[in-house]
Amino acid sequence: MSLDEGLQLPPVVDEVAAVGARWGRTNGRAKVRGEIIYAADRAVGVCAHVAVHRSTRPHARLLSVDVTQAAQAPGVLAVVTGADLHAALGDRIFTGPAFADQPPLAVDVVRYVGEPVVAVLAIDLATARSAVDLVDVQYEDLDPVYDIEAALAGTNFIHAELKPSAVFGDLRHLHGVSGTNVLYDFHLLTGDAEPELPPTALTVENSFWSPPVHHVPIELPYTVASVEGDRLEILTTTQTPSYVRQMASDLLDIPLNRVRVRTDRLGGGFGSKMYDRLEPLAAALAWTQRTTVRIAVTREEAFELTARHGVAISGSISVDEDGNFLASAADVVYDTGAYADIGPRMTGKSGFVSLGPYRTENAKVRARCVYTNKPSAGAFRGFGVPQVTLSHESLVDDLARARGEDPADFRRRNLWREGDLGYMGTKIHSADFIRCLDGVTEAVDWYAPLERPNGRWRRGRGVAVGVKAVLTPTISNAVLQLNQDGSASLMISTVDMGQGSDTMMPQIVAEVLYLDEGQVRVVSPDTDVTPYDTITAGSRSTYHTGNAVRAAAEKMREELLDIAASRNGVRRQDLKLTAGGVMNTSTQAMTSIADLVHEHFGARGTTLSTTSNFTTTWEPYDPVTGHSSKVTEHWFAGAAAAQILVDRLTGRIHVEHLAVAGDVGRAINPALVEQQLEGAAIMGMSIAMYEELVFDHGQMLNATLLDYPLPSLLDMPDRLTPVIVENPHRTGPFGAKGVGETGLIPIAPAIANAIRDAVGVRITQLPLSPERVLGAMDEAGVS
Amino acid sequence: MSRITLTVNGRAHAVDVGDDDLLLDVLRQQVGITSAREGCGVGACGACTVLVDGHSVSSCLARAIRYEGRSIQTADGLPADDDVVDAFVECGAMQCGYCIPGFVLMTHELLDDNPGAELDAAQVNAHLEGNLCRCGSYPQISRAVETVAIRRAAACQHRS
Repeated sequence: MSLDEGLQLPPVVDEVAAVGARWGRTNGRAKVRGEIIYAADRAVGVCAHVAVHRSTRPHARLLSVDVTQAAQAPGVLAVVTGADLHAALGDRIFTGPAFADQPPLAVDVVRYVGEPVVAVLAIDLATARSAVDLVDVQYEDLDPVYDIEAALAGTNFIHAELKPSAVFGDLRHLHGVSGTNVLYDFHLLTGDAEPELPPTALTVENSFWSPPVHHVPIELPYTVASVEGDRLEILTTTQTPSYVRQMASDLLDIPLNRVRVRTDRLGGGFGSKMYDRLEPLAAALAWTQRTTVRIAVTREEAFELTARHGVAISGSISVDEDGNFLASAADVVYDTGAYADIGPRMTGKSGFVSLGPYRTENAKVRARCVYTNKPSAGAFRGFGVPQVTLSHESLVDDLARARGEDPADFRRRNLWREGDLGYMGTKIHSADFIRCLDGVTEAVDWYAPLERPNGRWRRGRGVAVGVKAVLTPTISNAVLQLNQDGSASLMISTVDMGQGSDTMMPQIVAEVLYLDEGQVRVVSPDTDVTPYDTITAGSRSTYHTGNAVRAAAEKMREELLDIAASRNGVRRQDLKLTAGGVMNTSTQAMTSIADLVHEHFGARGTTLSTTSNFTTTWEPYDPVTGHSSKVTEHWFAGAAAAQILVDRLTGRIHVEHLAVAGDVGRAINPALVEQQLEGAAIMGMSIAMYEELVFDHGQMLNATLLDYPLPSLLDMPDRLTPVIVENPHRTGPFGAKGVGETGLIPIAPAIANAIRDAVGVRITQLPLSPERVLGAMDEAGVS
Repeated sequence: MSRITLTVNGRAHAVDVGDDDLLLDVLRQQVGITSAREGCGVGACGACTVLVDGHSVSSCLARAIRYEGRSIQTADGLPADDDVVDAFVECGAMQCGYCIPGFVLMTHELLDDNPGAELDAAQVNAHLEGNLCRCGSYPQISRAVETVAIRRAAACQHRS
């Protein structure tokens, strides 16, 4: 049917918008039935299975690496050392997103217990795993650096020289240093460094420690690499396919078009599947051995691949007699382990919000990132911010209590508001801390009197807020292919790891093009097909990829209207896209997308494509003040409130009610937003109460799921209330921003503050374990 | 190496197994089942759960050779109109989805062990506590199990 064939009434269509709708998750039924394919489910064919011989020493020189016996074992195809790779590929084997400091196999020196030293390639995994025990390594021990104090003392250096890798625009200002374990040192100063305070000022200060913890996505990391002619192909569990492509191109010194990186949807990520995990080793082995290699690791090995940074922070806040902030200061140290990974970026990005979302006249931050002889720490949901939030939200709470003021009210009158200039020099927009705080206090009935039993169980309530800046600058691209039948394929390199991008991005396309649920499908990331995207992390995809997707869809709408206008000689302004297709507004004639594209090309199955890019910019930190007039593209605002019972006899905490709020600008899919808030709150609660990677002389002691505690259904709060706050961002797609991390950030201090409320003790170290709670109560003489 | 027959989702599969081969590996590599997955390797996460003659087994700990002639059920082999699957889909009880088939099979075991019973949250939580969902889909999982339990109890009352 063409546009001008007679008068027609427009068909009755369902005008329910796609954006804001609770669409079911793409592939939801297939996920429940287990029919969805993850990377390790794909058939590989004949390949070399890889197992790794690992360092038993935290810090040592390699004196000799004897692989003779392993190489002679039946079924072993090859045995490869770090020296072999170094000889073949040179210094290019040292990779990393911030510093080029990490080899896939140790060269000359090992820097943590569990570091890969030798790779064994064999006909099957069992053969490879048993042959690694035949490798004999002789070490000369070097003085180990186990913790932050030893790292700062600075007599033993874990790396002789630091070389920035400069893959990302925001890390260009890093420069090579030597003779230190401090690989990044960030300073922020607003007002006076040592302001003179009036005698009536009230100051609280304390020191806090968040130990390293692990992400534990239930899907294990996995990588296959193969060589086809002059090309390298990688299938891997990564949140950063574009980064992996660049890394492999640099590592092998081949153009980007000879590297293909694919990933399937992930079985969870949380920051653990980013940058250099198994990929450099797989790429180097496949390339040098000219074979397909498959690296599947055990849970214990996955624990040694990455972690959340242990963070020590000393903070202080001073207020005047009216409770207005006069000065805030924080000294933060991030333990990044043996290799920098993304630690330097985290140090700046969470350092500049380490005083919390509060108005203050004088602000001072020093944030340092240090090497230690531990597995390398990297990105983790919240990117360093939850650790610093424990400090400012505990201090603010103690200030309120010292003043005899309600902790929520005290926060409310000091929080940043729309248009405020943050202490790092950037304005605050679309970050509604007040409504987040209102939402959670309302959810737990904060202002109603609390029944406080005085027996074995003591009840208390706590509240906390959180702020995070979205990573800036970053880049997203989208290619939208509209198929002749009216369905669409969306090519983006955003990885769906459970957050729901494969559901939510189609909603954005559907909103613009009036398509229905199920009509838009996302193509899984494949760098031969899907365009560059910085990372799927930092809650950035909804805003950045979402903007690219929206623009691609809008271009498609314009293209459809152009085609309709040119085909029928109709004035462009008389046409509009509707749910039924392109409508001639003067005649009411309607042509479906399928008919229009069919007529345009004269064939079925044809496609129209549009592309778009969305790139953000920033103002780099001032080298002296750390200020930036645009440190971030946008802010995340969140809050949590907890009502708990503390068992006076055992120190155990029972969470009666946990409420968590996030300002998401606009909820593209409220059901997915609620799940992100809830899931982040549950993870935050677990980190607050249970989790810690325990080390003894550099050896991880609890790297199995028998020993590392994770919450089950038995550990859920009695009530968990997600609160969506929508304060549209002026440049978000339909006003939207991300939410993946928001719900985690304020959880630990909300629970710590509830303990303080219930039994009067301030606990400054995580986890808030029964032993620690009981110890604090005994020490304080709580009866 | 022994040739044995495993009955998986009602179909017989001849497989070759060594004494130490794990049921999980044999199901994945020789039968082509991918809904049972390794998460921890020590029976602590439930991602590898299968039902053997209706009872849950952590297939990452089970020696395949012991399952000759037993009836093995995996989530992908459930009927198209499976009520537990329907409830999980309706309640949005999944995020990354990796662990969910294990929860589905555990729910089947719970419901089959307690036909027609009205289950309280404590019973549900106690039965499913060996399954871990790191995404934290627990609120939706609870709702899904509650939904299907109510439906089964109602259907049972209707029949009686």
